[in-house]
Amino acid sequence: MTGTVTKRPGPADPVEAKKCADWIVSIAATRDREAFARLFAHFAPRVKAYMFRFGGNSETAEELAQEAMMQVWRKAHLFNPSKAAASTWIFTIARNLRIDRFRQRKHIEVDDSDTALIVDGDPLADEVVSRDEHAVLVKSALEDLPADQKTVVELSFFEDCSHSEIAERLDIPLGTVKSRLRLALGKMRSGLEDLA
Amino acid sequence: MNIKHHPTEETLMAYASGSMSQAMELLVATHMTVCPACRKKVAEFEAMGGAVLESATSMDMTDHSLDHVMAMLERETANENLAVEELPITRKVAVGESITGSAMPSIPTPLIEMLPEGVTSLEDIPWKTLAPGVKHYQLKSVESKGTVRLMKIAPGVSIPDHGHHGHEMTLLIKGSYIDDIGRFRAGDVADLSDDVDHQPIADTAEECICLIATDAPMKFSGFLPKLLQPFFGI
Repeated sequence: MTGTVTKRPGPADPVEAKKCADWIVSIAATRDREAFARLFAHFAPRVKAYMFRFGGNSETAEELAQEAMMQVWRKAHLFNPSKAAASTWIFTIARNLRIDRFRQRKHIEVDDSDTALIVDGDPLADEVVSRDEHAVLVKSALEDLPADQKTVVELSFFEDCSHSEIAERLDIPLGTVKSRLRLALGKMRSGLEDLA
Repeated sequence: MNIKHHPTEETLMAYASGSMSQAMELLVATHMTVCPACRKKVAEFEAMGGAVLESATSMDMTDHSLDHVMAMLERETANENLAVEELPITRKVAVGESITGSAMPSIPTPLIEMLPEGVTSLEDIPWKTLAPGVKHYQLKSVESKGTVRLMKIAPGVSIPDHGHHGHEMTLLIKGSYIDDIGRFRAGDVADLSDDVDHQPIADTAEECICLIATDAPMKFSGFLPKLLQPFFGI
């Protein structure tokens, strides 16, 4: 049904993060239509819900979700599974498309080939978990957060709200928004350390 | 560069979620170019965005949505050979030597893109005088919310004591300054919320060039600074 919002207790069709990453790699390598169809089934409805939160119109959200998935197809060769999980990468595509469409500008990003770029001596030294494992841990840490902390995290990512706007929306002081975010971050980080 | 002052975690999270003004985003991306630690944190926040995307509500796509997308992609693939890829034009803008060794290696791309054509060094920027020893160049952004400007402060000159109605960030490009918080050198970011007053003083050895982004006008305390406010226009 068009425009139906369904709250799912976790993914209804549990797909492992690793599989999603493999599908993107496969799209890049062989223009794998089957892999694209699976990726579409998993992510397009999520991206549509994301766009709906910003645009408030299900036709626009549908169109933008389609456009985001087309970008996934076109940019698949730029996906690097050692740098980001599929969900992280698709989130950034959706975010950038949303800013492009609703705010009429590009999201300003670091240019990886910039001559001014300063790189870490040993960036991967402390990476003990893969990006896919990391994504799964972040997700379970997010789901374990107390409701008030989870709400500020979700509003931060899923609405075009500054932290002071979140404070207004929830009718709580700005300091409380910041402290809830900090607590959430702390919990998510320590969760990652425990499991790593 | 040995960066000691970074944007706050909330600021980096707002960057990752895409909820900050263009002015602020420009400053954060310029800092991130020279700061691997903040790039790593932002990647972590983007993973949080991915987790929110995974765990939040989803909305059913229309029937045949995939077929429609697939058909469009087929057409595109068929025309792929006709498409001409535009190569990005690489510009370089020099920062120049710093006698105290506090300078970015060159101007990062996000900032270059906001500078007028033909500018190849900081000297070429059409600076405008704001006050004795203080020059600025206002960058144009698409969004009306927030302002972003480059400031050039002569050695030893002090910016009047001011607080902020909103969020203000300063990124040092060359030289250094000292305020109540500490010493800021190239690559450092002073990330100030609305409850902080500060009075930066440029290093006496050389001029200080910095990028300042605000979400709201600064407010100056004292009588003389109030006279300066119209000049700052901020």
